[in-house]
Amino acid sequence: MPMNDKTFSNKMFDGVNYALLTLISLITIIPFIYIVSVSFASPSEVVKGGLLLVPTEFTLSAYKYIFSTGTMVKSIGVSIYVTALGTMINLMLTSITAYPLARPTLRGRRTLMLMILITMLFSGGMIPTYFVVKSLGLINTYWSLMIPTAISAFNLVVLKNFFQQVPDGLEDAARMDGCNDIGILFRIVLPLSMPAMATFGLFYAVGHWNTFFNAVIYINDSDKWPVQVVLRQIVLLSQDRIGDSTSQSDPADYLPQTIRMASIVVATVPIVLVYPFLQKHFAKGVLLGSVKG
Amino acid sequence: MNRKRSAALFCTIAFTAGTLAGCTGSGAPAKEESAGAGNNTPLEVTIATPQVGEAPKKGSDIEQAMEKYTNAKIDIQWIPDAAFEDKKNIMIASSEMPKAFKVKANASTLNAIQSGLFWEIGPLLKEYKNLSELSPMYYDNIKVDGKLYGLPLYRDIGRAGIVYRKDWFDALGLKPPVTLDDWYNVAKAVAEKDPDKNSQADTYGFFLDKNYNDPVQSNSFMTRLSVPNGAPNKWGVENGKIVAEFMTQPYMDTMKLLRRMFQEKLINQDFSIVQTADSDNKWNAGKVGIRVNTVVTASATSFDNVSKSTPNAVVDVVPFTGPSGLKIPAETGNNGFYLFPKSSVKTEAELKRLLGFFDKLLDADMSTLLTRGVEGKHFTKTADGKAQFKDLTLFNLEVKPYRDSLPSFETTGKGIPLKQNELQAKGSKIAAENLQSVVPNVALTFNSQTYTEKGVELDNMIRDAQTKYIMGKIDDAGWQAELDKWLKAGGQKVIDEYTAEYAKTKK
Repeated sequence: MPMNDKTFSNKMFDGVNYALLTLISLITIIPFIYIVSVSFASPSEVVKGGLLLVPTEFTLSAYKYIFSTGTMVKSIGVSIYVTALGTMINLMLTSITAYPLARPTLRGRRTLMLMILITMLFSGGMIPTYFVVKSLGLINTYWSLMIPTAISAFNLVVLKNFFQQVPDGLEDAARMDGCNDIGILFRIVLPLSMPAMATFGLFYAVGHWNTFFNAVIYINDSDKWPVQVVLRQIVLLSQDRIGDSTSQSDPADYLPQTIRMASIVVATVPIVLVYPFLQKHFAKGVLLGSVKG
Repeated sequence: MNRKRSAALFCTIAFTAGTLAGCTGSGAPAKEESAGAGNNTPLEVTIATPQVGEAPKKGSDIEQAMEKYTNAKIDIQWIPDAAFEDKKNIMIASSEMPKAFKVKANASTLNAIQSGLFWEIGPLLKEYKNLSELSPMYYDNIKVDGKLYGLPLYRDIGRAGIVYRKDWFDALGLKPPVTLDDWYNVAKAVAEKDPDKNSQADTYGFFLDKNYNDPVQSNSFMTRLSVPNGAPNKWGVENGKIVAEFMTQPYMDTMKLLRRMFQEKLINQDFSIVQTADSDNKWNAGKVGIRVNTVVTASATSFDNVSKSTPNAVVDVVPFTGPSGLKIPAETGNNGFYLFPKSSVKTEAELKRLLGFFDKLLDADMSTLLTRGVEGKHFTKTADGKAQFKDLTLFNLEVKPYRDSLPSFETTGKGIPLKQNELQAKGSKIAAENLQSVVPNVALTFNSQTYTEKGVELDNMIRDAQTKYIMGKIDDAGWQAELDKWLKAGGQKVIDEYTAEYAKTKK
């Protein structure tokens, strides 16, 4: 009897578990499915309202509209460029800053850390920062999207702590074999820190992909806008009320919801594609067994 | 958070502005010569304006045509709408302003104008044929301390109208509502008699959204509904004193009507949280009898949209009349305005040429270009000399951004008239006739220190109270208590300050 009881409660537990997890994953996934399916549906179907998970009438017209001008394609190109180069700069600068700070031998590292931590609490504010960027001659260049955000203080601190956990023994061994500090960082510490690098790389990459505010502030030339700025414009545009004050009344003012959703899909898919490639790094425990006690 | 940030911003702007004013003073004389050198050289016109749709390429056909006609070199910087205010503040602070800067009237704009960053253009206007012949109301509405700094992007002033489902009204034997009782009867009939014949109680006489009582916009539903019944447009005058609309009897009557309709489930029960887009969708889906949140010139669009879901729908439009005849709230008559910064427009001579540029945009040729596009490409001429759009998608892509960002009149301009269908023509006609019977917002250009500081808070207080009252959460006594609270929190001060300004104008 007790035996039975246990399996019963086990089953109950599993059942509730599955039900709950299914519910939660549905809550997360349904908006995505909705967006994708609306983007493929015909406008007249969407107008009728309701939750549309599978369009009855499959059409690519929304995507045709988006790609009818070069704007979206171009902005995706800009975003890919800024994301790829920007993330490399981020990882490079963050790791070569974090590593020395993680070594107990660096003198004055407490003061340095303090100065870095202060920037997490206080920022210069929008206009002073703009002046700095402007006097560096970065206005209206892609660099203005990469340089000011080159190091995130938070990521730096976490990465520093991660480096501190790399066993000293490994470093001593490398030094014994004639490796200098830079060699230790690039040959020993970084390869061992791939999970951390993958994580921060992803943080930074998503940050660059989503860059909106900096782009609007620092980039004046509409040809150089990244995808989020264009996306925002499209989404806002189609939210326009017909004949509201921004436009004079006009029959075709109203972009159908399908186009709105299709642009969201187009702007989201590239960055989502990055995740699977980084997946393997998250699972690996590289440090296991590297030092024998 | 936001308030703190903007407060800090103002200090910075004020400070920087002061510093920069000093800088420009010393550099001015040298440039003056070059500006006055030859008036045949093309005028350099740099413009910054919020983006409409996709940003057109630099040097597009339209830009070139404008440049040729006005002898100018045009450089337009399109700024995404979403971050426009921040960008504007940065541009003002860093003095990187274009020669013509399109802004909206708000606290930071007012502040910048009052600190003397922009040219006053009022006295110069009479030299320009097109600009000076327009109704003075357009200019009066954007004056600051009685002076005109901005060149408005003109919009219709009287835009309210009743766009309704004629097929339903005919079937149910209804007429477009005039009195408040009519509104009640219409809503009751549409809600209960199932005009869409699907045996479900899913139709509404009209569908409210959360902006129904927007305290700033004169096109809010509450204002549109109560003005024809005798309420003031946002702010009115009673016995020489300024009063808020919600302190007047006609407005209260409207609130009582909505309260009763809410109780009887004749209006949507979730009105306080519904987005405007959702209420548009309800209309588009063919569930709504009267469309309240639209402008009269959009009646044809309303018809197009509802026909997609309900092919046999019939839509008509009538003026928004009340018991005392046609009376509608005047809207501001602009979608922002152009300012001319002193830091980039160095001399009055240059300012005059700039105004000349904008004046020329209202000429017949330019008006046609901005509102119809290029003949053969965007529109064709019909036999009776009217313009008919050839490719609307192309027009929206290539011409609309300019039309909506530069001064132009879509239907009443000097360009080739547009061939309109019956509904469009009816809508435009009502908009034009509305102009004769608009009720202006008395306090529109008045300054109130208290309102600048606490306006948002005060507005929210009264909005919440209105919503609570309509939803039946508070009774008349409760409403009176909320009103007293509002008066104490600063409402009375706003009224006093407006009254003082009003007294000044009467002298």
